[in-house]
Amino acid sequence: MDILSINNLSKSFRQQQVLRDISFTVKQGEVIAVIGPSGSGKTTLLRCAAMLENADGGSIDLGGISVVESGKYADKASLKSARTKCGMVFQNFNLFPHMLVLDNIIDAPVHVLGIPRQEAVREALALLGKMEMQEYVNAYPCELSGGQQQRVAIARALALHPEILFFDEPTSALDPELTNGVLRVIRALAEEDMTMVIVTHEMDFAEKVADRIIFMADGMVVEDGPAAEVIHNPANERTKAFIAGLKSGF
Amino acid sequence: MTFFMVSALVFTLSAADAVKRFTVGFDANFPPYGYVENGEYRGFDLDLAREVAKRNNWQIVLKPINWDAKDSELNSGMIDCIWNGFTINGRENSYTWSDPYVVNEQVVIVKDDSPLRKLADLKGKKVAVQTDTPVQKALKKGGERYDLGRTLSELVVVPDYNNAVMMLEAGSVDAIAMDIGVAKEKSKKGGLLILDEIVMSENYGIGFRKGDTKLRDIVQNTLLEMIDDGTAARISARYFDGKNVVALGRIKSAVSEDANVSGAGFWDNAGVVTLELLKGLLVSMAIFFLTLLFALPLGLLVACFRMSGNFLLRNFFRIFISVMRGTPLMLQLLVWFFGPYYLFGIQLSKLSLFGIDYRFIAVIIGFSLNYAAYFAEIYRAGISSIPRGQYEAACVLGYTRSQTFFRIVLPQVVKRILPPVTNEVITLVKDTSLAFSLAVLEMFTIAKQIASASSTMLPFIIAGVFYYLFNFIVAGVMSAIEKKLNYYR
Ligand SMILES: Nc1ncnc2c1ncn2[C@@H]1O[C@H](COP(=O)(O)OP(=O)(O)OP(=O)(O)O)[C@@H](O)[C@H]1O
Ligand SMILES: [Mg+2]
Repeated sequence: MDILSINNLSKSFRQQQVLRDISFTVKQGEVIAVIGPSGSGKTTLLRCAAMLENADGGSIDLGGISVVESGKYADKASLKSARTKCGMVFQNFNLFPHMLVLDNIIDAPVHVLGIPRQEAVREALALLGKMEMQEYVNAYPCELSGGQQQRVAIARALALHPEILFFDEPTSALDPELTNGVLRVIRALAEEDMTMVIVTHEMDFAEKVADRIIFMADGMVVEDGPAAEVIHNPANERTKAFIAGLKSGF
Repeated sequence: MTFFMVSALVFTLSAADAVKRFTVGFDANFPPYGYVENGEYRGFDLDLAREVAKRNNWQIVLKPINWDAKDSELNSGMIDCIWNGFTINGRENSYTWSDPYVVNEQVVIVKDDSPLRKLADLKGKKVAVQTDTPVQKALKKGGERYDLGRTLSELVVVPDYNNAVMMLEAGSVDAIAMDIGVAKEKSKKGGLLILDEIVMSENYGIGFRKGDTKLRDIVQNTLLEMIDDGTAARISARYFDGKNVVALGRIKSAVSEDANVSGAGFWDNAGVVTLELLKGLLVSMAIFFLTLLFALPLGLLVACFRMSGNFLLRNFFRIFISVMRGTPLMLQLLVWFFGPYYLFGIQLSKLSLFGIDYRFIAVIIGFSLNYAAYFAEIYRAGISSIPRGQYEAACVLGYTRSQTFFRIVLPQVVKRILPPVTNEVITLVKDTSLAFSLAVLEMFTIAKQIASASSTMLPFIIAGVFYYLFNFIVAGVMSAIEKKLNYYR
């Protein structure tokens, strides 16, 4: 079953066309890595899929709900229920600084979904355990390292039980020694068959975790195939050049 | 909120008086004609007015007014007459006058060790006068004593006599030209000398709204009766040491030697002054807390409208904020108080809400709207300083717009805006003194009244200490809140 299906998606900022005719699907349990040069539109694509940005044309289906059909957005109620299907993890975490770690995680389940507090707390503790963050339940975000904050952000997204989780360069704001903890928990999620779309520059990680890799350039999907194939045997010249560039070590 | 209060007021209009009210406007800084003693209004003119009201079965209302606003007070119906050692000369055509009931002299006082002894000695000297008094008008260009006025080096116009006496004692003016009754009162504490030569002589009358001859005739006839049966003489004796000064219809010299007002001695007691000021402090605090109570939430609402997507709404509140911040608060207070009459002909003077005078309500409306504008800009800066990522995280988590605002944005805004809000709150403590422009009896108004009854700086010094202590506590509370919110970042 397709959790996310994008067809002929396009998006412009003023004169500049940022996304052109993008189409791909994500199946239940699939992990997809999106790679590509800076400015190629990866973030914009995720933001359109997560409904933070409005597409100009094309269609998006999320968890069986048609969000946008040929450039026309669905009614409010449909958008609201589509909203609960996806979660998003940001490059710079965006935790709520005035709330404890625990409150960051349970606030939405309690106030948006109406889950009883006790139950939300029980689940939050379990999620923090999975994120190797159980000791920091009663800390404020400012007391945590970047890697720890990102793991709390992942727990916060998971607490709403999304069917698909988007990651926009989850480790690029972190010092290198902090990335491992975050990548480890994402891998653990992949092993539990969490459906995920991850924008990343970490090729080794992409190869190990992703089922498929999408390579974007100039707002288009240039290549879309099994991870190992795209990395070791890319069909497109631009993909080759990009991967070669990464390997030669920028 | 405040608009709602105004409309509630309009409804109480119908609760008009069964007994006619006779509202006398006076300057409470003008002994012996009208002043404050022991927290009560006393004075020669006020006692006359009380007796007139009593004989006509009227309920008397004594309204201390801001002298500069006397015409607005009278024309808008806030007061029925001005009865206040009120000089007719030079104002003949501005009011409907009673016949003169006192003849008064304008004299010059100097320090007793000063070499000045004659009016001619004033040549090249600095002379102080109270604003909008007949002697000021007379000495000005075009006035009847411009021949004297032109010889002076400077005519210093001061807001009240008390100020003038302080300037004289400090040597920043050489002489003061003033009413003889006041001059005698001021010179009693010693060190001052009244020159023998008088500047001019003038008549006191009761000023009524132009055309209001009906009320004038009733009051004047009653006053005549009081003169005939000796009541006026008895009242006069209370203030002018046994001598009858009332001269209605039979002009004669007004003020006796040794005018006697007990005020000065009475107010020498710092304890009594402090007690009176404390009463004023309560009113100042009421203005302070009510303003915060209304302005803080109102400011948030204004900030939201100011940032609204609706063109009309956004620009209306942009202009509102710009006007509120761009004009003096004192002027706004006058508009809220007199505006209803001048714009809509509604006389709010007789109104009250739960027994609260409209004066006070106008002050609260004026302060709340003015401070709401300042707070709105602070809120707006605070709201736009919240990073976009916070909104996006909330959006992806499914928060509604209002949940995002109240659960995520506002708590962070509160922490960020605390320092500028503290500044405004401290300014507010001091701004409460502007309520004097509507003669609301807050601490500064009372300090001014006591100071002019006793010719000392003491009440101002004590009031200053109270303002400082009040602010000291406010600053302490605000920094405690700031500390409390310091639990993150
Ligand atoms: N809000 C915006 N307004 C105008 N232009 C934008 C906006 N957001 C993105 N762009 C432009 O769209 C293009 C694609 O941006 P996007 O952030 O999607 O790229 P990206 O692939 O995520 O790049 P990076 O790897 O650097 O994060 C860029 O040229 C960018 O300047
Ligand atoms: Mg990006």
